[in-house]
Amino acid sequence: MKVEATEVEGRKVYSVRAFNQGVATWLARLPTLWVEGEVTELRRQQRWQSVFFTLKDPDDGACLSVQMPRGQFDALRLDLKDGERVHVYGRPELYEQRGELRLKALSIERFGLGAHLAALERLKQKLADEGLFQRKRPLPRFPQLIGLVTGNDAAAKRDVLTGIVQRFPPANVVVAETYVQGPRAPASIATAIGDLCRHGCDVIVLARGGGSFEDLLPFSDERVVRAVATCPVPIVSAVGHEQDTPLCDLAADVRASTPTAAARLVVPDIAELRAGVERARARLHRGAFTLAGRHRGRLDTARERLHRAPLLALERRRARLDNAYARLATLSPLATLERGYAIVHRGDEIARAEKVRSGDTISVRVADGTFGATVD
Amino acid sequence: MTEPSFEGAQKELEAIVERLERGDAGVDELTKLWERGEELYRICAAKLEAVHGRIEELARRDDAAD
Repeated sequence: MKVEATEVEGRKVYSVRAFNQGVATWLARLPTLWVEGEVTELRRQQRWQSVFFTLKDPDDGACLSVQMPRGQFDALRLDLKDGERVHVYGRPELYEQRGELRLKALSIERFGLGAHLAALERLKQKLADEGLFQRKRPLPRFPQLIGLVTGNDAAAKRDVLTGIVQRFPPANVVVAETYVQGPRAPASIATAIGDLCRHGCDVIVLARGGGSFEDLLPFSDERVVRAVATCPVPIVSAVGHEQDTPLCDLAADVRASTPTAAARLVVPDIAELRAGVERARARLHRGAFTLAGRHRGRLDTARERLHRAPLLALERRRARLDNAYARLATLSPLATLERGYAIVHRGDEIARAEKVRSGDTISVRVADGTFGATVD
Repeated sequence: MTEPSFEGAQKELEAIVERLERGDAGVDELTKLWERGEELYRICAAKLEAVHGRIEELARRDDAAD
């Protein structure tokens, strides 16, 4: 921008406005950078377009005015309070109307691990309240296509792939390589999850090896957590080491302590499967033989009974017949003779003693025969 | 008359045995029941034999395939 000066009594003179414009133009050439300081005099009002605060050097009290569009400031959800230490990313500019230098903030970050943890805790609470950490679906027993989201040269990738192939060689895996740290990571991870689902994966593994707290922050990014929580197929999170708990671990259906553990979770062990099938076959064979034997035994028993029964039935009938005959025999006079009685004949019946005379020849019948006799 | 199933034949055989053992079959029926029972037994035994042979054959074949 050309700044016009006027010539007054031999000297070049600038209007205030022109001067400020000139300085502003010059300042605009300075780079965008991070400035660290304490927040003071934070001023935020609904009717203002911008939020203002003063960044103060904690060592010697030097001050710098900071301005940030209110919408941007609110989107950061920092909930800043006076006295907090922050990193402000911005560029210097001149408020031309008043000739005041200030930093136009593009982003603000809390400074320090504790603050990071506090922010994470707030996000965690918010997402938990939305119910994003509740869905725990079972993994498919025999996945058709496994999606793996991981860094392009990560040991995590190798661990997962090796683990899968060792346990279940016929597995199909499609790998989506993404940024796994830094500012571009969250969006690329979220996109990769969606891509793998559209690709037809029926289970997804999100894997990253260990790293610093900051390295793992993308896995607690709201975009990643939401992508995991809304993933249409079950998702296993294997991020960092055992002690790390990025928020994507909570949103995932299953959490694996390491990438190798994730591999164990998504595929069955083929050796175990084989052993299981072998056991089932052995039981099948035993069962078939046992059942055939049982039928055989039942049949043999029936045949034995078949062979015994008619004779028994005949014997019972013979016994009934014998019994009837015995009863018949008791009614016969022959039975009386058996007891020692005799029947005396003389050609006719002798029923009265007076009918018999001395010298009569009579026949006497006893049990086993007849003999003659003469009456005295 | 079509040949009865194994289960059908086995049931009939057992019914005959029970009838004989109850003792209410007439004497004239005894031999007929015996003959029918034996016939049913042979049907069942043949079926069992066939199945058993087939199982053994399968087991041998599967063992050979390993």
